[in-house]
Amino acid sequence: MPHPPVRTPLLCLALTLLWANSALAQHEHSSGEFEVFVAAEAFHGSGAAPRDDADPWVNADVVAGLTEHQFRVFGELLATPDEVDLERFQMGWEFVPETVLWLGRFHEPASAWNTEHHHGQYLQTDITRPYIERWEDEQGIIPQHITGALLESRQSIGKDGAIQLSGGFGAAPALTNTSLEPFSLIRSDPGRHGPSITGRLAYLPEYVGASSVGLLFGHHDLQASYGLALPALHSNHANLTIYGAYIDWTVGPWRVVGANYYVDVALARTTRDESFISGYLQVERQLPRRLTVFSRWEDSARMQESRYVALFDHEDGNLEIALRRQALGVRWDYARRQALTLELSHIVSLHQQSNEVRVQWSAAIP
Amino acid sequence: MNKIAATAVLLTLLAAGTPALADEKLVLIVSADSNITQLDSLQLRKLFLGLTVTQNGNRLWPVLNETDARVKEIFLQNIVSMSDITYDRSLLRLTLIQGQRRPTAYGDIALLLKAVAADPSAVSYVWSKDVARDPRLRILRVLWHD
Repeated sequence: MPHPPVRTPLLCLALTLLWANSALAQHEHSSGEFEVFVAAEAFHGSGAAPRDDADPWVNADVVAGLTEHQFRVFGELLATPDEVDLERFQMGWEFVPETVLWLGRFHEPASAWNTEHHHGQYLQTDITRPYIERWEDEQGIIPQHITGALLESRQSIGKDGAIQLSGGFGAAPALTNTSLEPFSLIRSDPGRHGPSITGRLAYLPEYVGASSVGLLFGHHDLQASYGLALPALHSNHANLTIYGAYIDWTVGPWRVVGANYYVDVALARTTRDESFISGYLQVERQLPRRLTVFSRWEDSARMQESRYVALFDHEDGNLEIALRRQALGVRWDYARRQALTLELSHIVSLHQQSNEVRVQWSAAIP
Repeated sequence: MNKIAATAVLLTLLAAGTPALADEKLVLIVSADSNITQLDSLQLRKLFLGLTVTQNGNRLWPVLNETDARVKEIFLQNIVSMSDITYDRSLLRLTLIQGQRRPTAYGDIALLLKAVAADPSAVSYVWSKDVARDPRLRILRVLWHD
């Protein structure tokens, strides 16, 4: 990887070309796509609920892609009042129809939620995401951004169904005293990045449908950043092994989304490894007048005993790891590509209990 | 007698105001230069949902006909089997997940026919009367008829 001062202009040039092509290229064998997902949110909390920076009050997620014969390039840039980051940048070769080899920074396929919604808030029915699926810069405890190679394939099985296989290998995030730091494509990167391998095997009852059920696997070697010791862990690195299963099923007006993860944490220089379990189940029901009601239940086991999890819990209380959460809400798609959502949550975290009310406007442009 | 006459007048007016007449057909079209032979329902659904469909080694490109509301309604019901909002979300999802291109849409029938005629890998659907005796285009099959 080039040195950061070289890397940034190269990346900007690639993005500029990509965006220019998105606007201009519409001839027969070249095509571009450009989409912006925006969201604005209001928040009120009780029971000492902090307004954590996991939920910026406004954000814009810009997705731009270019397809040229069997080759694809696309990027996802997220802008909030606090940061601008290139969340994904992938170059792909579709060497067999619906089988693509990608190089770049991608979302790990072993996350059931994030590979479906990414950063596009409008396509997510609810406002918040489950705590176990949070991004690294939102106090997330599981690596979500990997830089390396990703193979994705969907092949027919039976009359209508399909098998979907995704496997990724690359650089895992580095571990600091308070968070995971993924490899950055646009900023200097002082971290040490160990290897990461992740995968997903899913069954789709309909090749072109939205329902799927599958198994998830991830193994991440998380190295402490240069110059950092992690006294809380008594270790300078942690090996995370994740086994999971998920379901995302739609039947008529009903949709069920659920996942369960078993996370094993192996620490160097200690004799005692640790593990915990975290999962969630969300049920959605479409109603007349473009209304959708939803409810989510999150729970965990042994997270409160984990030294690894405690590493991400801020002492000032500005950020909280949720052990359990119940959420209830309603979404109204009141106009084309625009929605209003209300969500109520009760959260039990490592140190306290709290209640939250959130209201969000989300849209896709154009 | 007056009721019958009024009903007849009303039916005549309704028929005149409806673009799709009783013998109207929606047909699947490609360029006359295209080597696309046939597309079954699943291939067509994949194509218009933005997935990769190839024939003879060439990737096919879908072209949406948005020239009238009735064509769109038949397309949603018979080709992709989705509501308008679900179809739109499916395409947005595809863009978000892989930066994939959405099908090109035309609101003007002359421009749509010209675009399909010029691209041997393009596939679209139109009323049969719009392509009758047009040497630039070839009809693959009838998708819907009244």
